[in-house]
Amino acid sequence: MAQPHMVPAPHDTALIAAWQAGDEQAAAELVRRHARPLARFLAGAGAPDADVDDLVQETFIRAFRSVDRFRGQCQFRTWLLTIGGNVLKDFGRRAARRKVVPLDEAVRDVTGDPHEHAEASEAEALLVAGLKELPRLQREVFLLRAQQGLEYEEIAAALATTPGAARVHYHHAVRRLKEIVKP
Amino acid sequence: MNSERLESLAKRLGTEAAARLNVEATARTIVERLRDEPARRTVWVQQTWLRIAAALVLVLGGTVVASRLSPGRRPGVSTHATHLVADDLNDLSTDELRDVLTAFDEMIGSDSVAVPEGSTDLHELDAQQLRAVLRSLEG
Repeated sequence: MAQPHMVPAPHDTALIAAWQAGDEQAAAELVRRHARPLARFLAGAGAPDADVDDLVQETFIRAFRSVDRFRGQCQFRTWLLTIGGNVLKDFGRRAARRKVVPLDEAVRDVTGDPHEHAEASEAEALLVAGLKELPRLQREVFLLRAQQGLEYEEIAAALATTPGAARVHYHHAVRRLKEIVKP
Repeated sequence: MNSERLESLAKRLGTEAAARLNVEATARTIVERLRDEPARRTVWVQQTWLRIAAALVLVLGGTVVASRLSPGRRPGVSTHATHLVADDLNDLSTDELRDVLTAFDEMIGSDSVAVPEGSTDLHELDAQQLRAVLRSLEG
């Protein structure tokens, strides 16, 4: 019996090349692949829920417009997440200038039965608050490693540091978070 | 809280926000924005270059002003001649005056230096005589 012919999905680099050649659908496909992990990263790094959508858009726009600078030193997603970190930093500055409630202090969605959210949500909220206390590099290394599951080599390539330094940042972050996020 | 619990919590961070995201609508909006706002990068680059140029002007201007305001600068023998008119000769020591004259000597030829009568070498002149020679060169 003949097997259905499976067309392998194009690699990110092929989609980037297609986008650079003017293929809008290639850009849309890259968004489909990476928008949710990016949203998770931004939310984990302290983006208010209400702004995650806009920040995702802004990150992709910035990434597509500077894609010439992407040299394949790391995966496209990792590069995208680091751009997301910059976008979030700029957002935080603007929010501070407007004197609105910045980043993590924004109200999170806690509607529904409080018992459903109880322990896990509380610990999650503590973790978000703890992440806010970390230096940006530690926070990003922690999220790239613990949330996104990336290897130190990949994180180091994206953040222009060494795997050893990334490992050190991660362990510092874990140590401080353990102190902050106590049960 | 142990590391495993921390990492487990981290993996769950942002899952609600990601689930709420309308990926198709986001992709559509991004493509439309890329199509409709192609010139913004150029504007950004222009603004960036403008800022760099403004910063350079400030730095260079500041350097010029600082160099003019800083007192007691004696950059070197070769620059003495160019500062001759601006500098007060009374501020110069005997050795500095001699340096200036030597520099002048090299510039305009040893025969034309107005050495006072009876003197054959600049080293024999005292500060007052050297000043007199320099003032005569100023014209």
